[in-house]
Amino acid sequence: MNDMDKKSILVCCGPGCLSDNSDEVLANFKQKLQGQDIDIKAVVKGTGCQGLCEMGPLVRILPQDILYCKVRAADVDEIIEKTIIGNDIVERLLYHDTDSKKGVVSSNQIDFYRGQKKIALRNVGLIDPKNIDDYIAQDGYSALKKVLTQESREYAIDEIERSGLRGRGGAGFPTGIKWRQCAEFEEKPKYVICNGDEGDPGAFMDRSIIEGDPHSVIEGMTICAYAIGANNGFMYIRDEYFLAISNMTHALKQARASGFLGKNILGSGFDFDIEIVRGGGAFVCGESTALIASIEGRVGEPRAKYIHSNEQGLWYKPTVLNNVETWANVPFIINQGAERFGKIGTKKSKGTKVFSLVGKVKNTGLIEVPMGMPLRQIIFDIGGGINGNRKFKAVQTGGPSGGCIPEDHLDINVDFDSLAEAGSMMGSGGMIVMDDRSCMVDVARYYLNFLSGESCGKCIPCREGIKRMLEILNDICCGKGREGDLELLMEIAETVEEASLCGLGKTAPNPVITTLRYFKDEYIAHIKEKRCPAGVCRELTSYHIDQELCRGCGLCSKQCPQDAIAKRDKYFAIDESLCVKCGSCIDTCRFDAIKVGGRISCK
Amino acid sequence: MQIVIDGKTCDAKRGEFLLDIAKRNGIDIPTLCHLDALPGEGNCRMCIVEVLERGRSRVVTSCIYPVKRPVEVLTNTPKIIKMRKTLVMLLASRVPENDMIYQLCEQYDVKPPMRFTKDPTEECILCRLCVRACEEIKLNAISTVNRGITKKISTPFDEPSDTCIGCGACAYVCPTNAIKIHDKNGKRYMWNKSFELLKCEKCGEYFTTRENFEYVNKQLECKEPKILCDKCKKTQAQENLRDIFSTYEM
Ligand SMILES: Cc1cc2nc3c(=O)[nH]c(=O)nc-3n(C[C@H](O)[C@H](O)[C@H](O)COP(=O)(O)O)c2cc1C
Ligand code: SF4
Ligand code: FES
Repeated sequence: MNDMDKKSILVCCGPGCLSDNSDEVLANFKQKLQGQDIDIKAVVKGTGCQGLCEMGPLVRILPQDILYCKVRAADVDEIIEKTIIGNDIVERLLYHDTDSKKGVVSSNQIDFYRGQKKIALRNVGLIDPKNIDDYIAQDGYSALKKVLTQESREYAIDEIERSGLRGRGGAGFPTGIKWRQCAEFEEKPKYVICNGDEGDPGAFMDRSIIEGDPHSVIEGMTICAYAIGANNGFMYIRDEYFLAISNMTHALKQARASGFLGKNILGSGFDFDIEIVRGGGAFVCGESTALIASIEGRVGEPRAKYIHSNEQGLWYKPTVLNNVETWANVPFIINQGAERFGKIGTKKSKGTKVFSLVGKVKNTGLIEVPMGMPLRQIIFDIGGGINGNRKFKAVQTGGPSGGCIPEDHLDINVDFDSLAEAGSMMGSGGMIVMDDRSCMVDVARYYLNFLSGESCGKCIPCREGIKRMLEILNDICCGKGREGDLELLMEIAETVEEASLCGLGKTAPNPVITTLRYFKDEYIAHIKEKRCPAGVCRELTSYHIDQELCRGCGLCSKQCPQDAIAKRDKYFAIDESLCVKCGSCIDTCRFDAIKVGGRISCK
Repeated sequence: MQIVIDGKTCDAKRGEFLLDIAKRNGIDIPTLCHLDALPGEGNCRMCIVEVLERGRSRVVTSCIYPVKRPVEVLTNTPKIIKMRKTLVMLLASRVPENDMIYQLCEQYDVKPPMRFTKDPTEECILCRLCVRACEEIKLNAISTVNRGITKKISTPFDEPSDTCIGCGACAYVCPTNAIKIHDKNGKRYMWNKSFELLKCEKCGEYFTTRENFEYVNKQLECKEPKILCDKCKKTQAQENLRDIFSTYEM
C-alpha cells in the first residue's frame, strides 16, 4: 500500500471546536485506531481551525474530502466503521444545506467554503501544527530556501513590494516599503517583530494562524530578517492564548532542530532566532509603539510615531513589525511570485483577507476571501444570511473602533479603501453582523465603554473625550438624552479623532460617527420620543401584545423566563413590572403579535 | 534649514522640535504638559498645530514633532482653535473648580456644558509632569496607575510611599496646583505621608523636610551640612566670598 491510499482524518482543534470538546473526538480516534488489529490505512491529525465553527466539532476526511459536523466522541466508532474501513458516508453527520435541506458531502460544495480563497490560511485546518514535516510537505520552508540559497536579500524585498501586500493588522501600510526602508538604515542590530496581540474582543484570526500553522509565520519572519539584516526576532502573543503559545514554542524548537532557525541557517551563514514574548492582554498593547514598549519591559503605552519604528523601533533600533497574517502571506508570495499574488484582489488592495465572521449570521466562523468581495456576498453567501431569517441591520467591521455599515452600503467591495470611505475600517478583520434587534445607540455605547477601559489614558482628547461621549450615550440609552447632545457628540468626536496621539484615540469615535451618520433617526427616537426602536434599551422599551393579532396560543407565556405573561380574559398580556425585555416572547410568537413600544410614562 | 511658522521664516535644525523653534522666534503656542526641563510628554495636546506639506495639511503635536524637511506651519487656524476649545471644554469638565483651567476657559471663550457630571474635588489633569519630576530626582515615589478613564496619579497601592522625601518637586511643576502641600506645626503632609520640617539655623524659618535635606546632602556627598534655607545659604555664600576677597585685598 502506498501513502496515497491512506486516509487522513483531520479533527479540528481550533478555538471553537475545542470548546465543544473536539479534543475528546481526537483522543477517541487515536485510541480506537491504535487498538484496531485490522490494517487500517488512516492517519489522525488534530488541526487548526477549519473555519465553519458554527457546525463544530468538525472532522474532515481526505482524500475523499468528506466533512462531518457536530461530531461527538460517541460518533467515532460509526465513522471508523462506515467511512474509514468501509467507503460509506454517515449521512446524519453531514452538513445540511440551509435551503434544500440536503446533506452535502464535501466542503467545496458548501456555500460557506465555496467563495473563499486561502492564502494566509492555506495550511490552517489541513496540517498538524505540531509536525514540521506536515508543513514541509506543503512546500513549507521552500520560500526560505529559495531566498537564502538561490536569490538575494534584494529579491525578497522586491517581490514583497511588487506583490502589493499591505499590512493585515490594521493600517494597511505597504509591507514591501516598510521592509525596504528598514533595510536601508545602517544602524545595527535590527529587529523583526510579529504582532500577535489580537486584542479585539471576539477576534480569532491571528490566534488561528499561530495555532494552526505556526511555521508559516516563522518562515515569513525569517525571510524578512534575512532581507533587512536582522538576527533577532520577537513573537508577541497575548497571554491568554495558551494553545498558540504552546504550538509556537514547539514549532520554534522544531525549526531550530531542522536548521531553519538559529546559527548558520541552511548553511548560508545567516543567523536568526525568535523569542516568544507573552503579552499582558491590554488592547492598546497591540498598537505598534505600545507593543514595542511592552517588549522593552516598559508600560505598554503608545508614543508619537513621527519617527517610524523602521528607523527607531525596539530599543530605538531599526525594526520591522508586522501582523501575524501579514507574515503568513510572505512564504506564499515568494513561492508563487508577486504576479500571481497581485492578480488576486483589487487595484490597491492585493491578495486576500481573513475575517472572523460572527454575530447574527447562520455560518459563523473563520473565513478568508479575496479582497474586493462585496460585503453582501460575505454575509449572505458565505455567512448564509441572518439567523432566523430576520432582517439585516448593520455589520461592524474593524474591531471595537471600527464602524457600523448599513444595508444600503452592503454592495461595497471589501478592501482597505472602500471600508474607510464608508466610515469604517479593515482593522485586523473582525466582522460582527447585527440584525434588526440591535439598537445602534446601544452598540456605539458598548464599544465606547470597551474603549474607555482600554485607552491607555495618557492623552486628554482620548481619555476625557471617550469618557464624555460615553456619558452622553449612557444618558441617551436610559432616556436622559437632551437637546444638543448629538452636536456635542460630534464636536467631541472630531477633536478626539484629530488630536489624539495614537491610533486608538484616532479611531475611537468611529462607532459614534458611523451610527450617527447611518442611524441618526434612532438617536432622535431615543432623545425626543424616549423610545428605543429596536427594543433594547430597557428604560425606553415596553412590550405589549397586540390583541388583534394574538391567537391565544400561550407559547410566549411558557417561554418567558420572568413569568411575566399571563392570560387575562381571552388574551395574553405582559406585566410590565416583571418584564426584563429579553425578547424571547418576540422570538417565539408565530403571529407577530408582540409589539415594542417606547417608555411607559407612569414608571 | 528654514521653516515658515505663521508666515515668519525661522531657522531650524533637522530633528529640532517645532515648539522649540516657535518659542525661539517669539511665536506663542499654548502648552500644559511641557516644561523646558521636562519635555516630551505630548499628553495635553494643547500645542497642536497644522503642518502643510506637499499640499496636504496635517495636525501634529508641536512639542514632540521633529522637523525633518522645510515645511510650513500654522499655529492658529480656525480648525486648531476649535480643537483647543474642545480640549479646554473637556478639561474644564474634568476639573470644574480649578482656577488655572477657569482662566483658560475665559481666554478661549469656552463655556463648559452643564450636562456632564462633575467632581468638584478633582484638580489633576494627568499631564504627568509631577511623575516626570519625581523620576528625574530618581525617587519614583509616584506614578500613573490604571488605564483608560480611571487613570490617576498615585503612590504605589495608594499607600504612603517609601521613597517620597516630601521635597515638593511634584507640586512645584504642577500646572494646575493640584498637588497640595500642608505645612503645619513643624510638619509637612503630602501624598498621605507626614514629614518633619527643619528650621533654618540662621533665620529660624521652616524650609524643608528632614528627609529631603538628608537626601540632597547624600547626593552631594556633603558630610556635615549646615541646616540653612536657600536664602540664608546665599547670604552665607556671599559673606564667604566677601571674606575671601578681603583677604586678597590685604
Ligand atoms: C489600539 C490599536 C490596537 C492594535 N492592535 C493590533 C493587534 O492586535 N494586532 C496587530 O497586528 N495590529 C494591531 N494594531 C496595528 C499595529 O499598530 C500595527 O499597525 C500593525 O501591527 C503593523 O503590522 P502590519 O503592517 O502587518 O499590519 C493596533 C493598532 C491600534 C491603534
Ligand atoms: S490616543 Fe488614547 S490610547 Fe493612544 S496614547 Fe492617547 S490616551 Fe493612549
Ligand atoms: S505641550 Fe505638547 S502635548 Fe502638552
